[in-house]
Amino acid sequence: MSNPSRPDDRMPIASADGAAALSPTTDRLTDTEFEVLLMEHLEPSYRLALRLTGSSEDAEDLVQEAALRAFRFRQSFQKGTSFKSWFYRIVVNQFYTNRRRKGDTATTSLDSLTDATDIFLFARSAEAGLLRPDSDPSANVVSRMAEGDVARALAALPDEFRAVATLYFMEDMSYKEIAEILDVPIGTVRSRLHRARHMLQKQLWKVAEELGIVPNEPGAGSADA
Amino acid sequence: MKLDRYSCLETVRRLDDYLDRELSIAEQREVERHLETCDRCLGRFRFEAGVLDELKTKLRRVRTPETLASRLRKALRTESE
Repeated sequence: MSNPSRPDDRMPIASADGAAALSPTTDRLTDTEFEVLLMEHLEPSYRLALRLTGSSEDAEDLVQEAALRAFRFRQSFQKGTSFKSWFYRIVVNQFYTNRRRKGDTATTSLDSLTDATDIFLFARSAEAGLLRPDSDPSANVVSRMAEGDVARALAALPDEFRAVATLYFMEDMSYKEIAEILDVPIGTVRSRLHRARHMLQKQLWKVAEELGIVPNEPGAGSADA
Repeated sequence: MKLDRYSCLETVRRLDDYLDRELSIAEQREVERHLETCDRCLGRFRFEAGVLDELKTKLRRVRTPETLASRLRKALRTESE
């Protein structure tokens, strides 16, 4: 397998999270510049919001709330830094705020998802006789699932794991970029992402069982608490 | 720095970081050296890479509502008044 090193061409993120701690800078966005940048990043921002909230209505509301918050604090954005990272950070923080406000918690308990072992889907697929030496590696369980089914599995992850996984799956971001958006150390991104991927694999298997894509074995591989 | 050859366990532990291109060049090289001679691990890595590609493709397939841009412009105008 060939796996070229990731180019280090990332732009620095402005120190902004949409909170009062933002500090004004000298090189500020005009209202028009802000709107242009926002519209340029609208599609990926909506994608992010949709995968975070799991609902198109909530995603639209989230993007609007984040846009208004970003607009109010637009003077904290430094030209020459990454608008995308700055705005994503506001979107994610607004998502957390909304979840706390509504008293929502993860739909699936953490304990029920964390005992997934490494290469869970591979191991379960092998046990179920779904892997053959000559089989196409892309013809895995996930390839037989619809987008909505995959999104449903992602939505079952606890918030902090869903946030890191969503940022990771939506764009080819480095751990460093994700760390800057979430304002956590890179090591935290690495460990959360590692756990999130394994939780997601376990949840995907559960959804595949429900859909009849894989044999349903009661008590084995179930993500129920 | 010269590294000892990785075992299957050491290689699989680096699977995520390898696929995400987050390993050092030396570690990446050692993983690839292992994969060149271990079909079992190569199968695992190919499977995981396939799953990752499928997940990215499916989760990124989203259509932005056509009305969202106008809704935001209106909200921004109201906010700036």
